[in-house]
Amino acid sequence: MTTDPDVRRKTQADVAFDEAMDGATIDELVAAPAFETLDATYRESAGFRKTLGAHARVVDFEAGDIVVREGDWGNSAFFILSGKIAVEIEPPESGMPPEMLGRRRDQPKSLLQALLQLFTNHRFPEFRGRFSFAGSKSKVRKRGTGSTTRIYLQDVAAVLDRYAHAFLEPGQFFGEIAALGRTRRTATLFATETSRLIEIRWQGLRDIMRRDAGIQALIDQRFRERSLRAFLEASPMFAHLREGHEEALSELANGVELKVFGDYGRAQSFRKMADDAVAGDLSGEHLIAREGDYANEIVIIRGGLARVSHRFHNGERTASYLGPGQEFGLNEIVAGYRSSQGTPLQHSLRAMGFLMAVVVPAHLVEKYILKHPDSPWHSSTQSEARNRTIAAYQEVDQGFVEFLVGNRFVNGTATMLIDMDRCTRCDDCVRACAASHDNNPRFLRNGPIENGIMVANACMHCRDPICMIECPTGAISRKLDDGEVAINDGSCIGCGSCSKNCPYDAIRMVEIRDSKGLFLQDRSVASRTPITKATKCDLCVEQKGGPACQRACPHDAMIRLDMSDVETLAQWHNQ
Amino acid sequence: MTVTPFSVRRRRYSAVLIALLALVAAANLLLSITLHRTAIVSGWVLFSLVVLLTAYNVRKRISFLPLGSSATWLQVHVFFGLLSIAVFAMHIGWRVPNGYLEIGLAAVYLTVAVSGVMGLAISRIFPRRLSERGEEVFFARIPRVLHRIQVAVEREVLACLREGESAAIPEFYSEELRLFFEGHRHFWQHMIRSRRGEQQLLRKMDAYGRYLNDQEKHTIETIKEYVRVKCDLDFHFSHQLILKIWLFIHVPLSYALVAMAIFHIMLVYAFAGAVY
Repeated sequence: MTTDPDVRRKTQADVAFDEAMDGATIDELVAAPAFETLDATYRESAGFRKTLGAHARVVDFEAGDIVVREGDWGNSAFFILSGKIAVEIEPPESGMPPEMLGRRRDQPKSLLQALLQLFTNHRFPEFRGRFSFAGSKSKVRKRGTGSTTRIYLQDVAAVLDRYAHAFLEPGQFFGEIAALGRTRRTATLFATETSRLIEIRWQGLRDIMRRDAGIQALIDQRFRERSLRAFLEASPMFAHLREGHEEALSELANGVELKVFGDYGRAQSFRKMADDAVAGDLSGEHLIAREGDYANEIVIIRGGLARVSHRFHNGERTASYLGPGQEFGLNEIVAGYRSSQGTPLQHSLRAMGFLMAVVVPAHLVEKYILKHPDSPWHSSTQSEARNRTIAAYQEVDQGFVEFLVGNRFVNGTATMLIDMDRCTRCDDCVRACAASHDNNPRFLRNGPIENGIMVANACMHCRDPICMIECPTGAISRKLDDGEVAINDGSCIGCGSCSKNCPYDAIRMVEIRDSKGLFLQDRSVASRTPITKATKCDLCVEQKGGPACQRACPHDAMIRLDMSDVETLAQWHNQ
Repeated sequence: MTVTPFSVRRRRYSAVLIALLALVAAANLLLSITLHRTAIVSGWVLFSLVVLLTAYNVRKRISFLPLGSSATWLQVHVFFGLLSIAVFAMHIGWRVPNGYLEIGLAAVYLTVAVSGVMGLAISRIFPRRLSERGEEVFFARIPRVLHRIQVAVEREVLACLREGESAAIPEFYSEELRLFFEGHRHFWQHMIRSRRGEQQLLRKMDAYGRYLNDQEKHTIETIKEYVRVKCDLDFHFSHQLILKIWLFIHVPLSYALVAMAIFHIMLVYAFAGAVY
């Protein structure tokens, strides 16, 4: 045993959001108008000070600095202390162009450009021109260093002139819905003048909400006003209420409950939970609904993944999984309604890590789904899509299903699967990937194998991409139309947050080279460390014809598959 | 997305192949009845097929161009390759050609065709074998892993000496195991999925057990595990090697075939005089 007196277990204070947060700053924050709406007793309490110390930081923004971008995934909310923040209210298609916000505009190469690659591809791997490092000719404007780097708009007045904006003043807050739900930001916000904001991690926000009913009610109300109606309207179950049923939607939005289950889910906890789940131990997954219980509500997933399972001897057998927008419990409520007898749940539902769900009570289901004259459920008895999915899962080897769900590979929208019974290990896929990407492949033909199928270490373009959460510049982002997760090389500062957070080892940091093949070194530090960039599969967005890896496989051994498309998975698995 | 089962695809391509074969045979018959020189027509058809078949390798090198999937190209390559064998037989009139160039050309064609058929067979058989045995290891990493195993075994052996035991295990290692761990072994046995070499070695180790004390028996059991792992790696090495090197015969000879065929065509027209 060590005798070193300095050795001790870390506390929350050791891993504070801002290590420089001191008592004086906390005093200043407690007194800030941003928290005036909080209950006075709680505001003065040690608990509130502790929460601020652990989960808050003060961030200064210059005029033009982007605070959050539409489409990015958030894990923090902001309270305005001073200054002015503009919110873009243009629809995305007519709003600020992606380049202005430091995003890639991906357009496939023309045939001529594709042909020219034969001659223009550089002979060294990971060659970058001058746009990739500081002092470059990049269109993306950046300031700050390391994790405090941020993108800024150069001509704020012109931007405000050209695109419609609303403004937020001191005392107001924003970003709480994306932070609590781990969903994407719904608007771009930037500072129009020098501004000071308090940024609070979602954990801190959760603590405040638990102890202050007022702010919880406020956030709940804002959620219902801003997000819940849109979410319910988008749900296929309530599609018949989209037009001309304002009152019905309002009643629904007020009657449903928003629930958060499980842990927020970092890579480390994810790995352990995944290993346990594959081994049959589901104790790490929060039980939301138990098989055999009376069905008195339906659960609609808003964020995260859930496992649907049923008892099988002394264990749980996975029947399927649910992702955002999918529901659980409707079949049973429909059956109970038709037979006039309570029908128990046929399956259990568990949160696989973090899960945010909207819970609709049975009386609203009956009123707006079963009895409503415009509802397709009025005459239907079963959830066809659910039944088709469960039937497709039964076509796939059960061990493989447990493996996919347990390891959460079902999170992927473009998971790379390789049939090892057909793969000749020729590496044509790897070569094709390298030829399309700076002479360096963006994936490894390596990964866990189950039932003769390898899930390769390639970006799966997750539905719930936790790699995006901590990127300081928003260089890793997702296309707004639910497309691929892509890295903007020009905005990437090589901090490695995304690489560390990806639980599937799909993001690699690479050292970049100049035209002579020499590693580029950071001359601002004495150690001259090489400049790195995060790289990963981008589904060959710039290439015509889609992912080069899949097109290059001569033996049809590889597929890039949206794991929610279980019917295709079953067809491919059994072909 | 709909995935077409392999059996359906195979039936479709086979039907097309049979139709094309019938067409080629009918055309050949018709031309011979009408006293045309069938060799000229079949020769051009064969040359076109050979160029098309060789183009597959070019397609593989420019994978970023939207030229269709490699899998479709391979299917076309396989079925047109089979068609070319029938056209080749018609072209040479079902007899051994005469003339040095013609014999050489036929020999190169047959080598390419046979290596292609063999390559197709091993491409279908070997992957399944590889996924049935041992762990998946990159071909390029196998030597490194083998070296690590050798070092680990030698560490076990040297530990016996340091612990003051008898020299039984070091002696056995030096006489029976050193060569086994130093390089790839039992290549051809692995090709026919024979475990004879592995079993022989394990039997020898079992038999040697009677001369060992408990500690040494434990060590020999550990080494036996390494033998099994090493045999699996050798199995992977031999299969992956064959999967890679058959293309080194098939592809260069394909290019040689195209070059020789062009020379052959030039000679045919140069010496045809007023015939054509």
